[in-house]
Amino acid sequence: MAIALLCMLTELTVELLQPFFISKVIDDGIVMEELDVVWLYLGVMLSLSLVSFIAGIINSYFASFVATNFSYDLRLAIFKRIQNFTLTTLSKFPTSSLITRLTQDVLMTEMLLYMSLRIVLRAPLLVIGSLVMSFVVNPTLGFYLSVLTPFLLIFLYIAAKHGAKIFLRVQKRLDKLNRFIQQNLEAVRLIKANDRASFENNKFFEVAGKLKNDTVSGLRLVESILPVLLIIMNTSLLIVIWASSDLLTAGNVQIGEVVAVINYGLRMQGGFSMFAFIIIAYSRSKASSERMNAVLDLPITENNHETINQEAKAGSVRFSNVSFKYPGSTRYVLKDISFEVAENENLVIMGGTGSGKSTLISLIPRMYDVVEGNVYVNDINVQDWNEEDLRQTIGYVPQSAILFSGSIYENLLWGDDEALHSDIIASTEKAQIHENIEGFDHQYKTIVGQRGVTLSGGQKQRLSIARALVRRPSILILDDSTSALDIKTESALWEALNEEKATRIVITQKIVTAERADRVILLDDGRISATGTHSELLEKSELYRRINASQNEGGHIDD
Amino acid sequence: MIDKIKRPFGYEPILTKEDLKSKKKKEDQRANDFWGTLVRLWQFMRGERRLLYFIIFVVMITSLLTIAGPFLVGQTVDNYLVVQEFDGLIGVLVFIFFVYLMSSATQYLASFLMVGLAQRTIYNLRVRLFSHMQELSVRFFDKRQHGELMSRMTNDIETLSQTMNSSFIQFTTSIVTLIGTVSVMLYLSPLLTLLTMTIIPVLIFGVAFVTKRTGPLYKQRQRRTGELNGYIEEVVSGQEIVKVFSQEDRTTDDFEKRAGKLKHVTFWALLYAGFIPKIMNMLNNISFAIVAGAGGLIALYTDGLVTIGTIVIFAEFARQFTRPLADLSNQFNQVLSAIAGAERVFQIIDTQEESDEGTIEDQTIEGKIDFKNVYFSYDMEQFEPTIRDLSFSIDAGESVALIGATGAGKTTVMQLLARFYEVDSGEVLIDGTNLTDYKRHNVRSQTAFVLQDPYLFESTIRENIRYGKLDATDEEVVEAAKLANAHDFIVQLEDGYDTVLELDEGFISQGQKQLISIARALITDPAILLLDEATSSIDTVTELKIQEALEHLMKGRTSIIIAHRLNTIKAVDRIFVLEQGQMLESGSEKQLLEKKGRYYEMINAK
Repeated sequence: MAIALLCMLTELTVELLQPFFISKVIDDGIVMEELDVVWLYLGVMLSLSLVSFIAGIINSYFASFVATNFSYDLRLAIFKRIQNFTLTTLSKFPTSSLITRLTQDVLMTEMLLYMSLRIVLRAPLLVIGSLVMSFVVNPTLGFYLSVLTPFLLIFLYIAAKHGAKIFLRVQKRLDKLNRFIQQNLEAVRLIKANDRASFENNKFFEVAGKLKNDTVSGLRLVESILPVLLIIMNTSLLIVIWASSDLLTAGNVQIGEVVAVINYGLRMQGGFSMFAFIIIAYSRSKASSERMNAVLDLPITENNHETINQEAKAGSVRFSNVSFKYPGSTRYVLKDISFEVAENENLVIMGGTGSGKSTLISLIPRMYDVVEGNVYVNDINVQDWNEEDLRQTIGYVPQSAILFSGSIYENLLWGDDEALHSDIIASTEKAQIHENIEGFDHQYKTIVGQRGVTLSGGQKQRLSIARALVRRPSILILDDSTSALDIKTESALWEALNEEKATRIVITQKIVTAERADRVILLDDGRISATGTHSELLEKSELYRRINASQNEGGHIDD
Repeated sequence: MIDKIKRPFGYEPILTKEDLKSKKKKEDQRANDFWGTLVRLWQFMRGERRLLYFIIFVVMITSLLTIAGPFLVGQTVDNYLVVQEFDGLIGVLVFIFFVYLMSSATQYLASFLMVGLAQRTIYNLRVRLFSHMQELSVRFFDKRQHGELMSRMTNDIETLSQTMNSSFIQFTTSIVTLIGTVSVMLYLSPLLTLLTMTIIPVLIFGVAFVTKRTGPLYKQRQRRTGELNGYIEEVVSGQEIVKVFSQEDRTTDDFEKRAGKLKHVTFWALLYAGFIPKIMNMLNNISFAIVAGAGGLIALYTDGLVTIGTIVIFAEFARQFTRPLADLSNQFNQVLSAIAGAERVFQIIDTQEESDEGTIEDQTIEGKIDFKNVYFSYDMEQFEPTIRDLSFSIDAGESVALIGATGAGKTTVMQLLARFYEVDSGEVLIDGTNLTDYKRHNVRSQTAFVLQDPYLFESTIRENIRYGKLDATDEEVVEAAKLANAHDFIVQLEDGYDTVLELDEGFISQGQKQLISIARALITDPAILLLDEATSSIDTVTELKIQEALEHLMKGRTSIIIAHRLNTIKAVDRIFVLEQGQMLESGSEKQLLEKKGRYYEMINAK
């Protein structure tokens, strides 16, 4: 960094010295008819050019190095922070907005830094240097040259401020555009099935149109900077010429000095016109850095609890008076929930649509923090757990199976990076997916697309179960993750899972699954309405009887 | 030392010697892409060409005025200051002021118009890309990461946008200025002009050295950016899984790798691109020295062939002469990176859209469906065919349930009907006519498809339900929600039907999403109804309640459902049992029970 700046200063000095030498050539050489002096300065100027070039090249190396490393570090810092977000924090930032922050916004600051190391600092230095040099050559002329500079500075300040405001809006529009496209990509099938292409197009016209309008007004503002700069600077030059007419008459200046000052004036002009670019870069990157800071300034989630020494395998879960509402909502999704699951117990949670089942289990791996009450795993409050250790003990299978681009094997390794090949196979066998995978042409190396689009619903669910089993969890949580499985596969799956030594918490709609459980918890509108075994609930719970009836009446082909 | 220059900061060079050596072939190829892409951009500006010519005209005036300014200043120095003759100086200065004023004014005019033109072109390109994406097949999207596609829409187009704003004007200015400056220089002193020109070969060599390297590097940079974008999108959307599996270290590592690659290529691209201004600067300084030194010598030796005023002016012109060249070469780099972006955009635009060669339009569909010896595979390289030799026939108004093990091809049958994919062989017929003979929208607009994964847009619940029928009244929306049993929970939400669904928030459960998406299907009045596990996350009590609505909905329409529950299945006319993409047995429930085949086994597996 220092070297880059040093090199830039060398270049700058050379540039600033050139008009000085020219005035020497004219005044001491040509006017005095001294041939040697002309030769001398010619040599000096040429060798200085070379020095400046070498400095420039070295500067290029360092500027590129510093700028790219800066943006790399910045990207990494933001990404790490995002990885550290709780889901609550994450929900405040749409994915698409985080993407623009990590790409476009970082790029803007990278460009600003790169330019700073090369020209941005050079521009003010060139301006100031030229000004100082013109004062050195002749203070009076220097004064006339600088008389309009304050107006210029005020103008630049205003333009930069406004520019930043508009470009902040432009970046937000870009977010929106990005988000719109993301939704559109996710809903590709839905849009096609409803034949809504032109509807979507019209909405896109609006989003893209707004982006266009804001970009246009921002750019038109900053494009005005250069013409205004030039007119002010050129006027200054004319003032110098006008003033020098009197000074020459009075014999206070020499013609060579006038020429040098005019030359410095032109160089200042060059410096100022770089300002136009700088201000565009500055106002854009100011907007960008605000957006990045919005991510970086968020408090780091505390995760400094020490690893708790565990006796090999446990797996008890206890909820005590837990209430919960989602951040930003006032409606309680869970109300005063208390229950206990013993080691290796097999618990089933049932309840109506929207009764809070998924929310309830998401509190165990601490995806969200409870609003009231406490959740204990192995008799330790989840708040006191080291987050990674807590999640290490849990195998979680979400309702909609999320897989990542990559091979099946890689996806399974998510469960445990260090899993042996045999562990992986054991897990896929238990999850009843091993044979299917073997049937694929590339077997475990089969590439699944984003979210596993090329697999069937049931295959995705079973892969997702296998991934959880790879962890050898002491608590296995399944959130209605067998809905797309047929009866044979599903009962084979349950058989296999029975051999796992793990506490099992299963959300299901199926009575038959409840029958296999040690205990059933029935949720109704965020409260526990009844608990007990299948037969106990049949006796005491009206709701459970209704559920049972709804399935026996018609039955269930999977039952 | 040499190694340090070759591998600065331990960065391995990206371009190998071979990359640069086999330039003959490579350059041809790049040139083709480059010029081809440029021509296509030009075509995009079809409606704007007149304005473009006008801008060129304005720019020419600006350039001439910009040249005139220093020329007049030099003349003034020579004619007034040097000879100390100040009569009429004020008048001349006022004149020059107006020249400068005009120069600034026309310059702004050109920029003003150009910004508008450029952004309109960018807008058109975006819109074109987006609407083209609407026409692409589902298969296209299956293979690509969302984030990577998004990057083309934003990062690539933005790069182009930033270049278009400035480059075009710069380009024109540079050429005009170059011609103008050289003419004036020749007029002033042919000798000094020739001396100044000696730097040109160095210049050409320098520019060639740089552009040969930056072109491919910028291309790679845009690609790496796209890959990074894709990765971020996927990981951040799947953050829930990253968290519960404590995979933050893995994702950070992966991210680091990708960001590192981007850094690496960006370093080289910036480095080489950065050489140009440095070369220019040096040549600038040298030409300055030549003019001053050589000019001084000539002034001394020849006595009057070169005046002091000429040297002053010439020094300035020598700068003006190198500047447009520098700008041109600088622009060229920018243009290369923008073209790299534009190429990626055109790549998508050039992708074959879903074939829609059918001619039947505006035909009301009765709903008879036939599959004739259909074969289909999602990905012939990776998977066995999902559907093998499947044939069946469904009458208009008939309802059918598809059952079978997971992976049997149930969803695929529906996707083929919705024409998300084309069959590999065989035929799918609707009302006896091949599906491909219809215009796509003719069939799709009369089909309602409730998908396995209920997707809701980030807008109000009302708008989401209305998506099924854009001109539905509020009453119709509520009516549909009531039928789908969604009304009760919707009104319990703080903002009722106007609740905005945020994509990443957990307000609405999976089951409730399904209820809304059923309402969305209920509001349409389709001839064909496809329900793919539409109620899988809904509790059975609620399901019973919607059952009636569904039965009502199925009446009079051809319906195909995939479900696991018997009461849903019992309500249909016929049941198809699929196994490994083939029809195992079919018939009414009663027939199948009597047959004591697979269905019978399934029922009694309990």
